[in-house]
Amino acid sequence: MTQKKSPKAVFQANAEACDQCGKCPSSCPVTIHVEGFNPRQIIAKVALGREADLMKSQVIWTCTSCLKCKERCPEEISPYDVIQALRRIAIYLELPHPEGYDASVKAVVETGVVQQPQLVRTRSKERKDRKSMGLPPAEKPRDMAAYTETLREILGEETV
Amino acid sequence: MKYALYLGCTVQTEQYGYEASVRVTMPRLGVELVDMAGASCCGFPPFSSVNELAWLYSSARNMAIAEGMGLPLFALCNGCHLSFAETKHMLEQNPEMKAKVNGKLAKEGLRYEGNVRLVHIFELLHDITGKDKITTALSNPLKGLRFAAQPGCHAIRPSRVGRPDDAENPKKLDDLITWLGAESADYPEKIDCCGSSLAVAAGKATLDIAGEKLKAVKRRGFDGLVTTCPFCFKVYDNKQRAIQVTVGDRELEVPVFYYTQLLGLAMGLKQEELGIDLNQSPVDAVLAKIGGA
Repeated sequence: MTQKKSPKAVFQANAEACDQCGKCPSSCPVTIHVEGFNPRQIIAKVALGREADLMKSQVIWTCTSCLKCKERCPEEISPYDVIQALRRIAIYLELPHPEGYDASVKAVVETGVVQQPQLVRTRSKERKDRKSMGLPPAEKPRDMAAYTETLREILGEETV
Repeated sequence: MKYALYLGCTVQTEQYGYEASVRVTMPRLGVELVDMAGASCCGFPPFSSVNELAWLYSSARNMAIAEGMGLPLFALCNGCHLSFAETKHMLEQNPEMKAKVNGKLAKEGLRYEGNVRLVHIFELLHDITGKDKITTALSNPLKGLRFAAQPGCHAIRPSRVGRPDDAENPKKLDDLITWLGAESADYPEKIDCCGSSLAVAAGKATLDIAGEKLKAVKRRGFDGLVTTCPFCFKVYDNKQRAIQVTVGDRELEVPVFYYTQLLGLAMGLKQEELGIDLNQSPVDAVLAKIGGA
């Protein structure tokens, strides 16, 4: 693994404004169902400068992006955005993350979409695709080489 | 009324029932849809969790295509619509980032100005088309049915970037349901998440979260769940059997429809034209009640 320096955590000042009021975990659907996921605690750890621990744990990957915390936070901290930033830094630092993200990124970079048009089934187990549904061919970038090259260039830059 | 139709990855690669029902119902309301040549993923997910510039570039790229067409951008998917709204908001606040994004777009000869008009399906049907136009287009009103509305998280939050309905008390989808002749009713779980974004990291949690909503919809006596979000539909309809297994309740059956499928039925269109044969949830009893074509 290449040694990369962690980018400046621009969200830290936000985290320090947290009153620990508890609106975010009480709104969070994941807190109820996944042990150890609590947006209020995530913000507290960031405020204490312990984001490295968070990025090494899998906890930042279990947000379901419902945005209730972002909507309801009285300090407009948005635990959701802090989690997204932690994810981006974790990936930049090449820390472990769900492999689904790598597969999706690869697909979008190479084909312009997350997945190719699928064969789907009707309730009576008949197979259908876009053509048999009478739908036009799926769209994709017309100059795929330029599109792919641009995204590769962006992902290769020292940014998160 | 002419709009650039942005399907997004999930709709164009698997949620054909949504796309088909939109394409067949909208023109009957005087809405002309124009496909977007060269469209690509909006970037949300995966890039929003991976690289901010890649995300903003991806959304701005599609908005630039719509600007080039000179048409408002009608994004079918809640997630794509929010991605465009957030990107538009961020690039308005940050001219430096906008210049950076445009530097990348130039490689394909594209340019994002920031004057694109974004349109959500709630706005297009509820605010622009309106009750009179919709009700006069119906030949088979849906009587004696009561549906729960599922607007979906990204249609209503976060309000600070501008969403098409209220964050805590959304009502437009309920109105749209009642305009078809059916009933709708508020319920406490209406603004709750389907959990689909969790599927990458914690598939079981998605099914647990989705199960809570299906249980509530059933317990409250609704005849079905109605949404315009492809991610919500994918979980509540396509994964309903898996939800039953996970929550340990084989009887947890809830018919799920895209709003535009019900709209089409109320217009007297055939089930196959609306892709209803692709719905995996037990919709047959509701369809029998609706009757018609």
